[in-house]
Amino acid sequence: MLNNNAILEMKDLDVAYGHAKALHDVSLSIKQGETSFVIGRNGAGKTTLLKTITGLLKPVKGSIIYEGRDISGLPPERISLEGIRYVAQEKKVFGNLTVRENIELAAYGLGEPMEQALDKVIGLYPKIKNFLKLKAGQLSGGQRQILLIGRALVGEPKLLLVDEPTEGLAAIVIEDVTAILSRMKGRVSAMIVEQNLTLVSRLADRIFIMKEGKVEREIADRSALSDIRELEQYL
Amino acid sequence: MKERMLKKEAEKTPGPMTDFLEFKRHLPKERILLELVIVAGGFVLLAPILKVQRVTDFMIFCIFVLSFDLLYGYMGRLSFGHMLFLGAGAYGGGLCIRYITKDPLLAILAGIVLAGLLAMLIGPIIVRTTGACFALINLAFNQVGFFLVLSVLRKITKGEDGLGVVPAGLGGLNLGSRPIMFGFVLFFLLLTFYVLRRVTTSPYGYLIRSIKEDETRVKFLGYNTFLYKWLTYVLAGCLAGLAGTLNALNYGYVNPNFMDTHRNVDVVFAVLIGGAGNLYGSIIGGVVYMVISNYLAIYIPRWEIVLGMALLILVFRFRQGIWGYVRKKGARRSIPAEIGVERG
Repeated sequence: MLNNNAILEMKDLDVAYGHAKALHDVSLSIKQGETSFVIGRNGAGKTTLLKTITGLLKPVKGSIIYEGRDISGLPPERISLEGIRYVAQEKKVFGNLTVRENIELAAYGLGEPMEQALDKVIGLYPKIKNFLKLKAGQLSGGQRQILLIGRALVGEPKLLLVDEPTEGLAAIVIEDVTAILSRMKGRVSAMIVEQNLTLVSRLADRIFIMKEGKVEREIADRSALSDIRELEQYL
Repeated sequence: MKERMLKKEAEKTPGPMTDFLEFKRHLPKERILLELVIVAGGFVLLAPILKVQRVTDFMIFCIFVLSFDLLYGYMGRLSFGHMLFLGAGAYGGGLCIRYITKDPLLAILAGIVLAGLLAMLIGPIIVRTTGACFALINLAFNQVGFFLVLSVLRKITKGEDGLGVVPAGLGGLNLGSRPIMFGFVLFFLLLTFYVLRRVTTSPYGYLIRSIKEDETRVKFLGYNTFLYKWLTYVLAGCLAGLAGTLNALNYGYVNPNFMDTHRNVDVVFAVLIGGAGNLYGSIIGGVVYMVISNYLAIYIPRWEIVLGMALLILVFRFRQGIWGYVRKKGARRSIPAEIGVERG
């Protein structure tokens, strides 16, 4: 049974790389329209968690209930068509395609008319209009990240999973990415893995703190935190 | 049990098939027409210099190289067994002429269908693999095909002796005439070029290029990549089959050498010389390779040494082949100013 208003719920999830367990009994729930953040040290299992939801990794045990249906073990393309989009940490675009072709590929795959998809991405970041004919491989790290987030929004997603969106970006670009993520807030549910506490403090509705493959603490009401710097001990 | 159900569910994943058929017209008709005129003009100009029959041979090889490039240059899957489909096309056409009808067009259809069916049949096993495994499984199937036509099926293929392939005329045109065969093959080369130009500049073309770059990320966009890899494999097989039938019609016979695995090297070299992942590169590579193998052999007995050295130079100096080098030299980058400012 799904928690009231939850879009995604994980129950007793165990994930392993061969014999090495990466997630132990992870249970958490994300509500509709909520922006939740996952924080924790390297190796805490944050990326593994996202990869499991997207279907890249199969859980050894437990279930992932999305909109009332168990999606654990479904292939990534099915999960994507169900409305879950993943923006990976590596900021990899299709470098040999132009920016426009990158968006077009997503539009065709996810069944959205091209012009509508293009308008959506341009609406998110108007400067991208100047780069449409450029090979995506020529974009800077920040522009790639924006393109990836824009591309993930094609086809009316319901849940966006973003892994370290500001990692390795210049301060000015982080501002752009933050602005885009805040514009999406409330329109689409999101689960963001992030180490940048300023971003977390500005956007988080809920915070999951992970440690050694487990959810160590959940902060459901951010106002309960007197100071976001309290969280530094977990990074 | 659950695994099997999940696999079935994955194969049911809808893909944008209607969009795949609805090729987006990025290239204006005039441009494609101009490109076809350039390709045709090039071969017509070469014909009096290198002799019509030789250039006909070059064009057939170019069709074969184009089919291989779709698989290797565009989708990033290197096959060491592509001769299987050339041979299947040659035998399909040859057997059709021998046992069913002498109509050359029906023979071509039979060749394409046989090669396509073969690709459809073995494709689901092969396209699940990548890298060395993909190359070697193709080689293994090619070898099986070679021995099938050589010995197991010798009653109908006539084994090592091969079959004579003498088609009827084509509406009063005698294909035995060299200029007519030249025109016939040129038509099919232009048709192949046109189809591939449309395919590779459509969203389907982006898709297969993206599979080459990162298949997992393509799946995140909702595509059932298995289906598209299989379709590409079948298309490449059909085009190789077309080259095979044309080869049989051009030479007037078909024998197991048409399926000889050793000759896969020719097509790999041709694509590397011309530049993988580009149709012009395939045609240039096909012609250059054929010129080297036809003419160098006259002057240098062990001409393969020169070819090997040329390849070493390509690998170290011109990785993108002749066409890639020309494009790189000619390219004028026009990166908007904001990019420099915003590098993250």
